[in-house]
Amino acid sequence: MTPSSNPDEVIGASFRDPSGFLFYRQGVLYRQINQVYRQHYDQLMSSKLYARLVYDGLLIPHQEVDVAPADPAPAYKVIQPEPVRFISYPYEWSFSQLKDAALATLAIQKRALEAGMVLKDSSAYNIQFHNGKPTLIDSLSFEIYHEGDPWVAYRQYCQHFLAPLALMAHRDVRLNQMTRVFLDGIPLDLASRLLPARTRYGLGLATHIHLHASSQKRYADKPLDKAQTARKMSKLSFTGLMDNLEGTTRKLRWKPSGTEWGDYYTASSGHYSTTAFEHKKQLVSQFLEQLQPTTTWDLGANTGEFSRLAAEKGCNTLAFDIDPAAVEQNYRLVKQKAETHLLPLVMDFTNPSPSLGWHHQERQALLERAPADMLMALALVHHLAISNNVPLAWLASYLRELGHWLIIEWVPKEDSQVQKLLTSRQDIFPGYHVEGFEAAFGIYFNTLKKASIHDSDRVMYLMEGK
Amino acid sequence: MNFQFEPFLTLHHVVIAYLDPGSGSLILQLLIAGIMGAGILVKVFWKRIKGFFTRSTEKKEDDTELQP
Repeated sequence: MTPSSNPDEVIGASFRDPSGFLFYRQGVLYRQINQVYRQHYDQLMSSKLYARLVYDGLLIPHQEVDVAPADPAPAYKVIQPEPVRFISYPYEWSFSQLKDAALATLAIQKRALEAGMVLKDSSAYNIQFHNGKPTLIDSLSFEIYHEGDPWVAYRQYCQHFLAPLALMAHRDVRLNQMTRVFLDGIPLDLASRLLPARTRYGLGLATHIHLHASSQKRYADKPLDKAQTARKMSKLSFTGLMDNLEGTTRKLRWKPSGTEWGDYYTASSGHYSTTAFEHKKQLVSQFLEQLQPTTTWDLGANTGEFSRLAAEKGCNTLAFDIDPAAVEQNYRLVKQKAETHLLPLVMDFTNPSPSLGWHHQERQALLERAPADMLMALALVHHLAISNNVPLAWLASYLRELGHWLIIEWVPKEDSQVQKLLTSRQDIFPGYHVEGFEAAFGIYFNTLKKASIHDSDRVMYLMEGK
Repeated sequence: MNFQFEPFLTLHHVVIAYLDPGSGSLILQLLIAGIMGAGILVKVFWKRIKGFFTRSTEKKEDDTELQP
């Protein structure tokens, strides 16, 4: 790939695979397939594997297009994949989202094997939530299966899926954040050290994590001899390995209830009266109806009560929350209701996802994935302005970068929730009052509507970015 | 010259091998997959045995339903 000589923008995450790469041309995303991948691609299409996976919603659909390749010399074909609305990353997923992505990977592998192909990698970054379901977005992940070959992506599956899931299920759900540091999955020796001893007695984790880590250590400085590398693995053994990985993955469970957060959300609206809560919903609904945004980001969405007002209107909605338990509950609801326009994600807005990886271009920062048409910041201002000391004007400036329109709820200092935040600290926020809020946000936004929430001291604003 | 390069090459080799945990993964996979493959066979046979008895019970139930 030679991105320098033409105006196409080659995607920073797709440089590793010689089979092809992604590029943008005039705002449209294409994937170039190179000659070296020709027979694998042809098998994917002719074996009906592609059709089957697309039908099952496990693979992103694409069209072969008559478009000049970005790098003509090695090119075989150019395809145009169906656009994914929002690219999210494993460190932004809740437990079940990562688990479903893992199971989708194995389901794809199973179907591939039936069609004489295998997955040559099992990166969690190849899975995206598309219409509410985990979907493989890398159409070049398949290669022709030769009986006797082991699974080349075994280690990657263990590092990208099994290790973080096991740590979340058996140690602490917040350990998912380790995937933000270890971009190629959690090193197995580290996972093995962090997991509780009891995980050494269940066959699955004992083998795929603990024994796997020991084996890596044992052979780390010993080059394999020919007899070792020439050993074959029958198709039955291959299927057995897949079956065992699936069983081990399925057995990993985590329940948000019974945790320190879980119960809080069952009474999520406890500090609102029913009148206030219903009026707030009504106002949000009215604002959304008036502006008809295509994308909405709900910042601090809890379990997605308000996000659903947007999603149910057919708006592509992201429901961010800092709490993995809230996001887990939200995702379970998405699955239960088969919702296609709502994606819950874990995000700490005091430290949002940065750009990561090689050249800071493999994984995009949240801001690079912005802007949204509409932002919702409901019951959020006090968390950022008081708990995190962010001056109101700075908050307004950041939100202006994240989106165009803004539905924001002003929570005054007298509010019980703000008082709670101030009990353990000195009040160093003399500018935290409604006039200060309006002045700060007035620099970046015009207020279109303003309404006091009934039976409450809070105020709702509908704003448009200047 | 050769003598001088030798330690460097050896070190280089060790470092690369150390950086690639792939060998251990491969060895383990070959070792366990056979056992897990056998596990599949056991599973299939067990299902058949179970199926044999369940089917015969179902048949009985069907038979009883057929009798007036």
